[in-house]
Amino acid sequence: MCFTHSFWQLTISGLSDGMLYALIALGYTLVYGVLQLINFAHSEVFMSGGFGGLFVVQALVGSKTPHGASSVMLVLLGVIVGALVGGSIAFILERVAYRPLRRRNAPKLAFLISAIGASLFLVNIAGKQFGRLAIPMPDLYTNGNVFSVFGADVQTNFVVIAIAAAIMLVFLDRLVAQTRLGQGIRAVAQDADTASLMGVNIDRVISQTFVVGGLLGGAAGFLFGLVFNVQYNMGFTPGIKAFTAAVLGGIGNIRGAVLGGLVLGVVENLGVSCVQSAWRDVIAFGILVLVLLFRPTGILGERLGRSA
Amino acid sequence: MNRKLLVHVAAPIAVGAVVLSGCGGSSSGGSSGGGKKTIALAYQGPLSGDNAQLGINMDNAVKLAVKQANDKGDLPFTLKFVDADDQGTPDGGPPAAQKLIAQSDVLAVVGPAFSGATKASEPLFSQAHLLSVSPSATNPQLTSYGFSTFYRVVPPDDAQGKEAAKYIAKTLNSKKTYSIDDKSEYGVGLSGVLEPALKGLGVSVIHDGIPPTKDYSAEAQKVVGAHVDTVYYSGYFAEFALFTKALKAAGYKGNLMGGDGDKDQQYVVQAGAKNAEGTIFSCPCADATVDPKAADFAQAYKAMFNADPGTYSPEAYDAANSVISILKQVGAGATRQKVADAYKSVDFQGITKEIKFSPNGEVAGTTIFIYQVKNGKIAVLGTTADLVKG
Repeated sequence: MCFTHSFWQLTISGLSDGMLYALIALGYTLVYGVLQLINFAHSEVFMSGGFGGLFVVQALVGSKTPHGASSVMLVLLGVIVGALVGGSIAFILERVAYRPLRRRNAPKLAFLISAIGASLFLVNIAGKQFGRLAIPMPDLYTNGNVFSVFGADVQTNFVVIAIAAAIMLVFLDRLVAQTRLGQGIRAVAQDADTASLMGVNIDRVISQTFVVGGLLGGAAGFLFGLVFNVQYNMGFTPGIKAFTAAVLGGIGNIRGAVLGGLVLGVVENLGVSCVQSAWRDVIAFGILVLVLLFRPTGILGERLGRSA
Repeated sequence: MNRKLLVHVAAPIAVGAVVLSGCGGSSSGGSSGGGKKTIALAYQGPLSGDNAQLGINMDNAVKLAVKQANDKGDLPFTLKFVDADDQGTPDGGPPAAQKLIAQSDVLAVVGPAFSGATKASEPLFSQAHLLSVSPSATNPQLTSYGFSTFYRVVPPDDAQGKEAAKYIAKTLNSKKTYSIDDKSEYGVGLSGVLEPALKGLGVSVIHDGIPPTKDYSAEAQKVVGAHVDTVYYSGYFAEFALFTKALKAAGYKGNLMGGDGDKDQQYVVQAGAKNAEGTIFSCPCADATVDPKAADFAQAYKAMFNADPGTYSPEAYDAANSVISILKQVGAGATRQKVADAYKSVDFQGITKEIKFSPNGEVAGTTIFIYQVKNGKIAVLGTTADLVKG
């Protein structure tokens, strides 16, 4: 029973989950890199991207399922709007929930409470404003089998997520490695005080880091909504899983977040074929504990500055 | 709970509630109209919180029954309606029950609506000799605690499980069924009755429990790999909708069936009409919008509330009318004790079923309805008694 009959099929659904985890995990890891702080409100940035994309495509799609070029345009538009909404929410979050505390040199614990407060606020305002029922995304394309790998079907949903995630990951990698902003992020991550003495505007870099993380998280929210649905509390579970992925890969490490996300997604899905589904999270978090026991800094190690 | 403890705990709460109800401004007793005495029929259920809609479905139906009884003009008293919000939670039950007990003109209660709240409230109703008739509390255990004034007009979940098993085995002719629950008290209770019943009928069963999640693709692969002809999901509609989507995407072509927690138009909305088409539901609930026997009720309900009656509205309407028939029979000198005693032998033809009870408060007869999604709407196919032959 275990692994045998649908190994590749499960691997593919695992990769699909894993890519979404990776996109969200990057938001945690980037912010941790520059602030050594877990932004627990990031799961709500993800949720806001889902709603942003939903409303735009709802307004544009009629009763008919679009196909061909208009499908591509709509998905692209949804991803962009989701990303922009996520980025804006992340920007506001940093201004409202973090910057005032940083100005006053508040202890780390205050940031944590502020993050949790912001998260609860956003969840509940979304629940109040948009209702507590799940809202399905209108069909932007007909989900079906595109091609087969080792006898496993690859569906349109997977292809959409894979292409979108790949583009964003390459874009982020180039951004951090080659641009001025990337240099700033790496400098602040390595040593914020020295970076500031060297003329890096720390406030601006931190703000921009939040926005970059928010763009990725918001886009992930739209993609998630496309496959499942959009709901006020949709960020909670993926948020925790993505945080786990970030720690698994090495918090603060960009490539680690991506690797952690993919590993977590695949392990979870393969694990379900071996035991009852109720054990899904036990497997995922059991692996996390094991990895951390032997490699406390995660698979690829900590710190954005040194490894990127 | 031991009786002594109950008195110790309940008495101070009762006193507190009497004091509080003074500020509530609810007038008790008194007379009105043509010198007739006023008595009250109460409803207890969730009127706020996540499950408010289900509670409002019932609240409205009781309101309607009270209005119709007064309009008829043959009551020896004036009937008044009061309600208490327990939010559908065990914590909310006792305070809501106390609020009703403290109003001396309340002679009977329709409710509580949910099983947890019912379990918490009934000791107080029993102590106050106040009749309570639940339209919707289906947990099998409830009638085994010895509550002296508790009745319910729906068959418990074990009846649903057994009838659903018959339908799967004999009408769908299933050889192999995949039974999945959501690990909730309700879901496990239902699958726990369904599975032995299926095995008893010669159907081989695979069991799995999946706590609510969003991504069911791995589970859907498991189901497809198991080559079953029927899937039964014991849980709630939001997860069933996602599971349905995943199953269809994985290429599952067999029968898909769920229980009363799955039966909601939102299921069709969230799964997408195309995926939901053909899904079957078992439910102890009658659907007033499709049942010709309930047409008058549905029309009156719509006229009064500008909405279609929802899940468990007809049951609440039946519960209320069966109680009103007893109030009428007992007459103007009614007391809580007299009403509770008289209700034991009630025999009332409602729109969903004949309302009469076995001594433990369980409704006689186990009418389970089968529904199916047709053209994007949930339509009734009939009762299992009619659909299952032999």
